[in-house]
Amino acid sequence: MQSNHLAPINGPERSVPIDDAQALPASPAAAPLGVRLRMWLFGAVSALPNLIFLAVVILFWQFISKVWLPRIDPQMSVLMPAPTTIAVTAAGMIASGELFYHMIASLKREVSAFLFAAAAIPLGIAMGWWRQVYSQVNPIMEILRPIPPLAWIPLSILWFGLGDEQNEFIIFLGMFFPILVNTIVGVKNIDPNLVRAARSLGASEHKVLIRIVLKGALPQIITGVRIGLGVGWMALVAAELVGASSGLGFLINDARSMLRTDTITVGMLTIGLIGLLIDTAIRVLSRRLLPWSLALGK
Amino acid sequence: MGRLAVRGLSKVYGKRDAPNSITALRDVSFEVPNHQFCAILGHSGCGKTTLLNIAAGFEQPTAGVVLVDDVPIREPGWQNTMIFQDYALFPWMSVYQNIVFGLEMKGWPKHKRNGITRHYIDLVGLEGFADTYPHQLSGGMRQRVAIARALAVEPRLLLMDEPFAALDAQNRSFMQDELVRIWQREPKTVVLVTHSIDEAIKLSDCIAVMTRRPGRVKEFIQVDLPRPRDEDDSAYLKLKRHLRNLIHDETGDR
Repeated sequence: MQSNHLAPINGPERSVPIDDAQALPASPAAAPLGVRLRMWLFGAVSALPNLIFLAVVILFWQFISKVWLPRIDPQMSVLMPAPTTIAVTAAGMIASGELFYHMIASLKREVSAFLFAAAAIPLGIAMGWWRQVYSQVNPIMEILRPIPPLAWIPLSILWFGLGDEQNEFIIFLGMFFPILVNTIVGVKNIDPNLVRAARSLGASEHKVLIRIVLKGALPQIITGVRIGLGVGWMALVAAELVGASSGLGFLINDARSMLRTDTITVGMLTIGLIGLLIDTAIRVLSRRLLPWSLALGK
Repeated sequence: MGRLAVRGLSKVYGKRDAPNSITALRDVSFEVPNHQFCAILGHSGCGKTTLLNIAAGFEQPTAGVVLVDDVPIREPGWQNTMIFQDYALFPWMSVYQNIVFGLEMKGWPKHKRNGITRHYIDLVGLEGFADTYPHQLSGGMRQRVAIARALAVEPRLLLMDEPFAALDAQNRSFMQDELVRIWQREPKTVVLVTHSIDEAIKLSDCIAVMTRRPGRVKEFIQVDLPRPRDEDDSAYLKLKRHLRNLIHDETGDR
């Protein structure tokens, strides 16, 4: 409650620096916590009207599931669980730890696949920097890249059997190419004068690579990681549908056999929510860590 | 030290004698004594940037050599550092980090780096901006950072490629004065490429006027006017008229 009293006092004098802080991406963190909280609240409240349509859709959905469908055909209503039913099921699954268990299983696969897929970063830098490496490796990549990760499922099952390794391999394939392509583009798009300036200040080839090329390509690399994690997350669910005994993909496929449409929907929503969370986390992180990259576009 | 000698420099792009080859420079020779400020004046496409790139070690000449203190330049390095028209500041580094970069590359110990960097931040008038990032600075201030960054490595030869071309007229004139002030405080052998007659006269001890492609030195002029230079002085105006005639001749032919 103390902070509520303080916030309005700080408010008026602070209002000018906050405007500045919004203009310069580097400084929002500099605003005091109370002011930041109020800004966030204000933003959240003023975004509420955007959710009107969503609320209408949910209400309509509730009506169809609970009133309209049972009246026409009670059997059909099983196929379309009401929002309230989904909420109750979700609460139960959270309380029992079932949802958490499958979520962790999926996230673990996503993370370990990413650790392997991160090899695309050094490879991409080498391909972007040395023309010889590019012309030798690129033909292989161009053949492999258009193959959807899911097309690898049959072969990967024979290679790895059913299990984590096979799943991670599919996810890895989904992540690898977006990261690779974006890293190459990032390296090739570095302002050549930056490289020249560094050399002109006495930087060796090695230093140019670490301090200029890697740094300069970083915003694009992070974009690649963002896309890669997204594609990987989609491939993950598909891989789990086929060959896993845990994870969100397994959860929704398993629920199908028992006609638990509510469980399926909870699983689907969780998949969507986590995908959104991963994406937002990387966006926020890159804005925090690379404030200069936003200014480059100006 | 930093005695510059350009001897019989030629640069041909493409295979020599091939029909589509371009001769950018042909047999260019001149000398700049230690700690003198030399402007290379000419139209765009006269090969002046090629000359600068060879002096910076970015390009290799087809024939001839660029010597600094009798040592031929073969590759880029701190001895012959360059200042770019678009500043080429590292956007992810603060002003301080940009300036200290060259000293780190030279492998100097930390306590020494800090003192030198502070000195050059003060010299170019950027006190209080050490932790600012390039995107937060104006064009003139960015070029100050670039100048400080280049001076900090204590080059023998400082090369400038139309450093003020991206600034508005007022800022340009102000930065030219600043450059003279800085250069008088920290004398260096400077080669500045420009297409502005006024900039050449205002800044230089000597001016190499280039012909159109293939670039040759049309005339090498010593400027003995006292500094700061008065644009209304009769000697200044006489030199300006002379340079304009030289340049004008080059516009007509072809």
